[in-house]
Amino acid sequence: MSDIEATEIIDVGDLDGEAWTDYAIAQGWSDGMPLAVPSEAAVERFTAIARGDNEPFPPISPSRLIPTLQSLAANAVMAGCRPEYFPVVLAALRGVLTPDYNLHGTLATTHPCAPMLLVSGPIRRQLAINYSSNCFGQGNRANATIGRALELILLNVGGAKPGIMDRATHGSPAKYSFCFGENEEESPWPPYHVRRGFAASDSVVTVMSGEAPHNINDHGSTTAEGILTTVAQTISQPGANVISGKGPLFIVLGPEHAQTLARDGWTIEAMQKDLFQRSRVHASRISTENQESYASMGRLPVDGHYHLTPTPEDFHMLVAGGPGKHSAYIPSFGGTAVCSVRVAASA
Amino acid sequence: MRIVNPSFGLSLAGTEQVTTRPVDWLNDPIVLFTNSKPNAHALLAGIREKLAGVRRIDNIEFASKDSASQPAPAATIDEISGKYRVALLALAD
Amino acid sequence: MEKRGVTSLVVATETFRPLVLAQAKARKVTPKLVVVKHPVGGLNAAELAARIEQAMVGLKEVMGK
Repeated sequence: MSDIEATEIIDVGDLDGEAWTDYAIAQGWSDGMPLAVPSEAAVERFTAIARGDNEPFPPISPSRLIPTLQSLAANAVMAGCRPEYFPVVLAALRGVLTPDYNLHGTLATTHPCAPMLLVSGPIRRQLAINYSSNCFGQGNRANATIGRALELILLNVGGAKPGIMDRATHGSPAKYSFCFGENEEESPWPPYHVRRGFAASDSVVTVMSGEAPHNINDHGSTTAEGILTTVAQTISQPGANVISGKGPLFIVLGPEHAQTLARDGWTIEAMQKDLFQRSRVHASRISTENQESYASMGRLPVDGHYHLTPTPEDFHMLVAGGPGKHSAYIPSFGGTAVCSVRVAASA
Repeated sequence: MRIVNPSFGLSLAGTEQVTTRPVDWLNDPIVLFTNSKPNAHALLAGIREKLAGVRRIDNIEFASKDSASQPAPAATIDEISGKYRVALLALAD
Repeated sequence: MEKRGVTSLVVATETFRPLVLAQAKARKVTPKLVVVKHPVGGLNAAELAARIEQAMVGLKEVMGK
């Protein structure tokens, strides 16, 4: 079925830290930052943990190479992961390899999308994945390296080389790593993965090809009505890739906004319906040329407005983050789907 | 120092033999396929108009996919490969 | 489409030439490329006319005209 593209084990000679970094970057294996050494022993520690995960991987676009567990582990090692993070990395990879995710399109596009990784369930606490203050930001090994490992896999096995196969006009800081946990502990609603049909005891990685988070600041509103107005008006943007009902999006509510919304009796379903309607973009805010372009693809305004998503259910809502009066908007690439994958138990 | 190659992967079944039939450039039907990006259709329409000075164009037709960001559905590819001998694809970014 | 027996020519801008070549390599096909100046999107009719002329030069070469 296969022929070998390259050698799985490479003898790189005696390289000290700086020489290794230079060597690895010269091979095109890096995101620009130094990498840990994927020695055979280090890789073995990772693959040993994933031995129970025997489902084969499909080819990874755009290279269409089928990865081995070893080559995947090598990328997780290089990213700086601890071995116990590896099952989360593999679940994330399975997510982006789901056909509806449209990996090839999301990697080759000019749009600044990156794989967003949302982790729900008990593994967040087991691996100390940050789901509270600064959960999108720096300073946490699991968040930083799990997202980075997926990016390195897409670069090295998938062949998504910036400037060649990755044609992003600007790219995004989220392409270094974009991984965060759900703040289930402070959510007034059932956890996101439970609403997606998983058991509360499952650990689940959800992926979406998304932009880096956009802030939604609302310090003044004291009611759900006020907060929802701010959210709807902030995300109602003609320049988003999702415009004209092209794809899903995430609204990540800060816990304080969530408490106000729940106190005033709002359910997730009610908020989805409300925001779906209120975030519509009036046709007068869309250029004539763009309206013609959307029409050529059968995407027409409804009641003089363009929706952001195909349906209210494409507003994916959850709680993450820490104290403060902020929420976040993560628009998707558009031609993509939100995919959730259960993390396989470690061996 | 021995490392595991992070770019290692197995390729799908070896090189497939690709054979296309000889083309009669003056008469064979041509499909003009756009990637649905703005101006892709206009570019191909302009080419079609210019081709009128070189060959018949009554059998040069347009096709497109629903979204610039999604691959063409298999049914579209099936239909095209059954009807046309040549495809002119425009990537209009 | 070449794998389905349809001779396929890709009109792409010079900026996207490496992407087309890399994709073709991954699919183990040799692409027939007609390269025009970047960009195509965002051009007005007059600017687009120049791209059409450029594409026709490449296309006629392929057609042997």
